[in-house]
Amino acid sequence: MRKFRQPLMIALMTLLLSFIAPFAQAATTDEKTYQIATDITFAPFEFQETNGEYVGIDIDLLNAIAEDQGFKVEIKPLGFNAAVQALESKQVDGVIAGMSITDERKNKFDFSDPYFDSGVVMAVKEGNDEIKEYKDLKGKKVAVKTGTEGASFATSIKDKYGFKIVTFDDSANMYDDVKTGNSTAVFDDYPVLAYGANQGNGLELVTEKESGGSYGFAVSKGQNPELIQQFNEGLSNLKESGEYDKILDTYLSAPKSDEDKGVIGLIKSSYPSLLKGLGMTLMLTVVSLIIASILGIVFGLCRVAKNKALNMLGSIYVDIFRGTPLIVQAFFFYFGVPAALDFRISAITAGLLTLSLNAGAYMAEIVRGGIESVDKGQMEAARSLGLPYKKAMAKVVLPQAITLMIPSFINQFIITLKDTSILSIIGINELTQSGKIIIARNLESFNMWLIVGLMYFIIIMILTKVSQRLERRIQNGKA
Amino acid sequence: MAKLKVNQLKKSYGSLEVLKGIDLEVQEGEVVCLIGPSGSGKSTLLRCMNLLEEVNGGEVMIDHTLLTDKKVNINKVRENIGMVFQHFNLFPHLSVLDNITLSPIELKKNTKAEAKEIALKLLDRVGLADKANARPAQLSGGQKQRVAIARALAMNPDIMLFDEPTSALDPEMVGEVLAVIQQLATEGMTMVIVTHEMGFAREVANQVIFMDGGLVVEKGTPAEVFTNPTHPRTQDFLDKVL
Repeated sequence: MRKFRQPLMIALMTLLLSFIAPFAQAATTDEKTYQIATDITFAPFEFQETNGEYVGIDIDLLNAIAEDQGFKVEIKPLGFNAAVQALESKQVDGVIAGMSITDERKNKFDFSDPYFDSGVVMAVKEGNDEIKEYKDLKGKKVAVKTGTEGASFATSIKDKYGFKIVTFDDSANMYDDVKTGNSTAVFDDYPVLAYGANQGNGLELVTEKESGGSYGFAVSKGQNPELIQQFNEGLSNLKESGEYDKILDTYLSAPKSDEDKGVIGLIKSSYPSLLKGLGMTLMLTVVSLIIASILGIVFGLCRVAKNKALNMLGSIYVDIFRGTPLIVQAFFFYFGVPAALDFRISAITAGLLTLSLNAGAYMAEIVRGGIESVDKGQMEAARSLGLPYKKAMAKVVLPQAITLMIPSFINQFIITLKDTSILSIIGINELTQSGKIIIARNLESFNMWLIVGLMYFIIIMILTKVSQRLERRIQNGKA
Repeated sequence: MAKLKVNQLKKSYGSLEVLKGIDLEVQEGEVVCLIGPSGSGKSTLLRCMNLLEEVNGGEVMIDHTLLTDKKVNINKVRENIGMVFQHFNLFPHLSVLDNITLSPIELKKNTKAEAKEIALKLLDRVGLADKANARPAQLSGGQKQRVAIARALAMNPDIMLFDEPTSALDPEMVGEVLAVIQQLATEGMTMVIVTHEMGFAREVANQVIFMDGGLVVEKGTPAEVFTNPTHPRTQDFLDKVL
């Protein structure tokens, strides 16, 4: 046992350092690199190509401007809400994420000149010739997505044209509702719908776009004014040179993707990203569980200690981390603490911290339960031989407790593995996030979630089988 | 000077007073048997002698060391007091040999090689030389208890405490364990034994102490206590068990 411990610890430390190091270096390079957050699921503005590279109007535009103006950008696809929060808590220097310029946002952010004029269009199922204009919608249902301009526009005209509104939280569901015929039409941002139709999502656009909001690039209020200036200058240069139109055309008049949309085809085209995501999921699980085990043993021992202060400490730790949702903890460590103390933390470090502390609380309970289920006579016999409490615990009680804990430990492994999916919310590119990103590109939510679910299922079934075998061995007294 | 001296010892669990002021003395080389009905406090008394139970009042003294003094390093004192439990309490994750050598090695009393040599001699003494590499789960009750005795002896204690060492055994195994204890007695080990084996107590004890209701009711030689009990409660108890 002792032989393995040291290399394991070294590997662990190396792994940890490799996450922290790049973040530490980024701050010290003398050439200015701006960290720009973006959405992950907003084609054609930003999405991941099959080869794992981020592309889209926002990305290409930003890169072209950076080149034109001579600065560097590091793009961080976090998801829209996370990107906005990251900017608020100054985790990043700017956000470009198809974000409409609104008065409310102007209170917190400084915006560039508008780089894209969006607007709402109406789309219907491909081949539906009956609906040509708004008045054809009388008595029909229209699908919209919560909080979008499409939703506000549809609401503003629904009484005039006499249609009903059905609200969705997710674009894919909204499109599906139209394709299955439940809703007759959908209102959404022009570029998004145009791109979706081009990608063969089964819809076609029937109206010209209503003039609407404009998208802008944002920095925190009063921060990085030079960046906004460079962005504006670069943008007007690109418009003059015609490169701006070229970038837009690349995405909005793109030919239909020839990607195979069958399950097998999807697996073929997406397995590199999915396997990378799975790797990240497993890494997060294993590293955080190793840390959680250490925390669990320390705080589990506190929980069984006679010392009241230690006991209290253990209880407080366990209660806090069991008593709050993991997602809140993740936001707290990624956005809350760094904003309050004014420092930056990488999403992976924050994610590992969250998972470790969360799982540590459950591990502490597992350790406590394991220790308490060892016969009291064991401790008494060890103490009667003159062994001090710590030695008796380490040599007699803990080895037995650990054997009893193995099934619960594997159960926690499974729970933590599933919990890693929650970290997709802070933009960590684990398995669920990889799925989200791929769906943002190909809009194949049913098949993709099926594949992602299956991947989790297979890994967890393997673990369950291992756990059952171990349990049987323990029962037979062989372990 | 007595080897072990208990003075006005009191112990309660919450409002339940289990020991109500016990006085007794054990001389060097003496074998003392504690007898009495269950719930009389004899096991608790025994467990107070190495402070496995916290004492609420009174004193426990071994040689010149006052155990009930908070400044005393109880771990050091316990190295010198062997204890054998009703349910053996062998360490199930360790082999028989490792059960015996664990504390001598951990407490740096012996080197590994010495500890092993001593353990094998002790196993030979309790008739289990062939079981050194067995796991406790592979042993019978009687064998487990003999290993437990060997484990306690490995620390080379001056005093041995036995807490109902044969109560959890099948009847046919009682003899083998008592034989080992008897052997220790003839070798001059100072022992305090809580037991229900009256025949055994009569045979090996120098002093028999009858307890009831948290008090010492009667003490004396086996002949005195078993043949001519002076107290009606002793008489009553002996009538029931003999």
